[in-house]
Amino acid sequence: MRKGNAMSVMNPSRKRPCSRWVVILACAAMLITGSLFTVSPASASNLLKMGLLQEPKTLNVWRASDRWSRKVLGLMYQPLYVRDPETLKLIPWLAAGPPLFDEKTLSYTVKIRPAKWSDGTELTSEDVAFTGRFINKFKVPRYRSKWRFIKKIETPDKQTVIFFLKEPKAIFVSRSLTTPIVQKKEWTALIEAARKTKKPLKKLLNEKIKRPVSSGPFVLKEWRQGAYLYLQKNEHFFGTGKKIQGRLLGPYIDGIIFKIFGTSDASILALKKGSIDMFWWGIQPGYIEDLRANPDIALFQNEKSALYYMGFNVRKAPFNDANLRRAIATLVDEDFIINRILQGYGIRMYSIVPPGNAFWYCPDVPRYGEGLDREGRIKKAFGILSDAGYSWDAPPVDGSGKVVKGEGIKLPDGSPMEKFTILTPPADYDPHRAMCGMMMQEWLRMVGMPAYSKPMAFGALLQQVKLRHEFDAFILGYGNLSLDPDYLRNFFISTNDKRRGWNMSGYNNPHFDKIANRSASEMDREKRRKLIWEMQKIIIGDVPYIPLYDPKLIEAVRKGRFTGWVQMLGGVGNIWTFCQLKPR
Amino acid sequence: MELRKYITKRIIQIIIIFFVILTVLFLLFRLAPGDPVSMMVDPDMTQEDAEMLIVQLGLEQPLGMQYLIYLKNFFTGHFGFSFHYGDPVVDIIWDRLPNTVLLFTTSIILSALVGVFLGKIASWHKGKKVDSIMTIGALVTHTVFLPWLALILIWIFAYKFGWFPINGMISEEVWLDPEAGFISRALDVMYHMVLPLSTLFLIHFGAYLLIMRSSMLETLKEDYILTARAKGLEEKVIRDHHAAPNAALPVVTSVGLSLAFSINGGALTETVFTWPGIGRELVSSVSQNDYPLAQACFLMIAGVVLISNLVVDVLYAYLDPRIRY
Repeated sequence: MRKGNAMSVMNPSRKRPCSRWVVILACAAMLITGSLFTVSPASASNLLKMGLLQEPKTLNVWRASDRWSRKVLGLMYQPLYVRDPETLKLIPWLAAGPPLFDEKTLSYTVKIRPAKWSDGTELTSEDVAFTGRFINKFKVPRYRSKWRFIKKIETPDKQTVIFFLKEPKAIFVSRSLTTPIVQKKEWTALIEAARKTKKPLKKLLNEKIKRPVSSGPFVLKEWRQGAYLYLQKNEHFFGTGKKIQGRLLGPYIDGIIFKIFGTSDASILALKKGSIDMFWWGIQPGYIEDLRANPDIALFQNEKSALYYMGFNVRKAPFNDANLRRAIATLVDEDFIINRILQGYGIRMYSIVPPGNAFWYCPDVPRYGEGLDREGRIKKAFGILSDAGYSWDAPPVDGSGKVVKGEGIKLPDGSPMEKFTILTPPADYDPHRAMCGMMMQEWLRMVGMPAYSKPMAFGALLQQVKLRHEFDAFILGYGNLSLDPDYLRNFFISTNDKRRGWNMSGYNNPHFDKIANRSASEMDREKRRKLIWEMQKIIIGDVPYIPLYDPKLIEAVRKGRFTGWVQMLGGVGNIWTFCQLKPR
Repeated sequence: MELRKYITKRIIQIIIIFFVILTVLFLLFRLAPGDPVSMMVDPDMTQEDAEMLIVQLGLEQPLGMQYLIYLKNFFTGHFGFSFHYGDPVVDIIWDRLPNTVLLFTTSIILSALVGVFLGKIASWHKGKKVDSIMTIGALVTHTVFLPWLALILIWIFAYKFGWFPINGMISEEVWLDPEAGFISRALDVMYHMVLPLSTLFLIHFGAYLLIMRSSMLETLKEDYILTARAKGLEEKVIRDHHAAPNAALPVVTSVGLSLAFSINGGALTETVFTWPGIGRELVSSVSQNDYPLAQACFLMIAGVVLISNLVVDVLYAYLDPRIRY
């Protein structure tokens, strides 16, 4: 240890502190570096620059669970069928024609287009069969449910695949045949290595795919984590120069650079400044007017396949009473929510299926409280509840028919309704849903219901609702529902009323179950539609969920550099856009 | 007590505390509301899919077994695999750590040097205009809300004037250019550092200034300063060579601890500037219940803070010979 006295540390002969020089040098360095670089607009090259809110987590197609990875992977790995942007019907993509169904053998035959992988090798029926077998063999989560009913897959020739089903499954075409196809050669090598481990699936899911071999319009050129991801035009893309659904495909751009932005504020500034050509995320209402006023920015408005709703715990009182749920549905003013809370950027939902999914959407469902003002809604709800045996200390409608503040609502058995909570995500996660909860609390209190809106951390909310089933009511949403309406069955079939099950409300209706199961195995599209419509009518009649709104998707792009954005349900960031976008 | 004995005792304490932190962290994540699987599933997935996902993440095991695996992973330096990336946690941390260290260490050193320098001046001119301006300025910049300041700087210097990039750490124009050499790339990183560094500097230098000023004012009352004056030394020499080195001791503690906390980065700064560091990863892993990654990040912070405390204590004895253990 150094020894000495206090004076030794203040020796006047010491050198002068160099802090001022460090400061001067640091400032000079900043100025020099600042002057050396100019912040270029989205470059004069033929590259599309897109802003992402978060970085993709992985390029392993089987692992990807985040939307950012899936957005990027969707441009590389391709399925047999994709959705037409206008009709939303499934149309052949890697497939050469529609799947041919043989009722006798319960099989589908699919012909493959001549196509190549990005490494130049041929994409054959063997790759398609391998993908299906791989999913079933290793029980790949997220895909297994789409393939488990496949008995076997045959490949009579390089261009033909035959899928034999164990049982009729309506989702086969819409779910199984829209699975991304992977290269047999690439994954066979990985499987061999994985088999040597104790947990082959874990090994395969954790595999870091540095150079994905894919068949889409773009291939990975470089991924500098934390900064950018560069996809280059795939010279072997099967669609180049071909007309599919009357659209002549490119890609006509050299590539796409995805830049990562941590916040919407930074992304929108970058878009306005020209550092990116598109921000691949919905624009929140607060930014729209500013962007609309910018002559360099074009805004696109599209519908989403989304559902935001209020759910009840129908396993217990008081929400096990459908009359109470119908009365609440009458009190909820969806128009107010859309016009005031969403500032007009939303679509009213009458059913569980969004109206944009036109084929499956049933318009003929009960419409609670439509066209009524607040007083009218209260009177209607009062009528429903009175008829069902509810009573009040002070009814919300007095003897003269005037609407007053209701108090002390009692259940049909005479017991007072206990305080209940409406769980919502917190305002910093989703201000719209938090605000909806507060409005509902007020609307329900007007008729004397002791409702309390309770914002809760999103993870905790899911745990309460999905795992523990300890809740009264909640407001949640699905931002990206599949276009196949099989989720209706998932959400409300009684067998899914279990821990982590999708039937979060605990809805149990044997009649519904029967129709739902029939819909899952009905192979005739028209007949299935009737069943799906019937299911929607039952659900909206029993109201375990009150559909609230489907937010509109507003996207912003730079006007000057590219043309050919294709609008469809779910926005302009779709495969058709990337195959047709041309430099101006 | 001899320094060697003291250090040995402290190391034993650190090991015990670290083990407690290790256990508490494990329990905290498991007891906290939220479920990693619920965040990863979508309505297309069946119950069976979700259960398989749980198995793949190792969450089907009893809590005791999970804890043993966690300990094994820690002692083997492995830390497991990230739930979301699928990559070994160690790789993710080693990838992000240099970025955080670069930004935050630079900012702390710069802020400390400027803070000490200005604090010295302010105290020397106590009660005068210079002191008031510096003290108020330091209080304002130190208490301003960091994301707000960051966004204002971005708006003015990146958006309005276009002098600096809006975010990120590198430009793809430079890094995709095959002709760009090491110097161009290093300058590109420095160029991207200007705004986040300025934000952190403005937030932190005020604290050092205030600490230095306060410490300096106390030091100036000491007898040896009077002695120095009595000897007829120049005021500047008294300030810079007699008072300042002694007054800087509290700043050393502060810098030491700040350097330790710089490992976790400023989650807010890294998020606003999309700086690919540990802080951003920490926020993301906690919000997505990525237990292995979040645990490793917190453990790393805990370890560095504990060690920094020890280093600061030892450094104190070195800098101030009156201090003995």
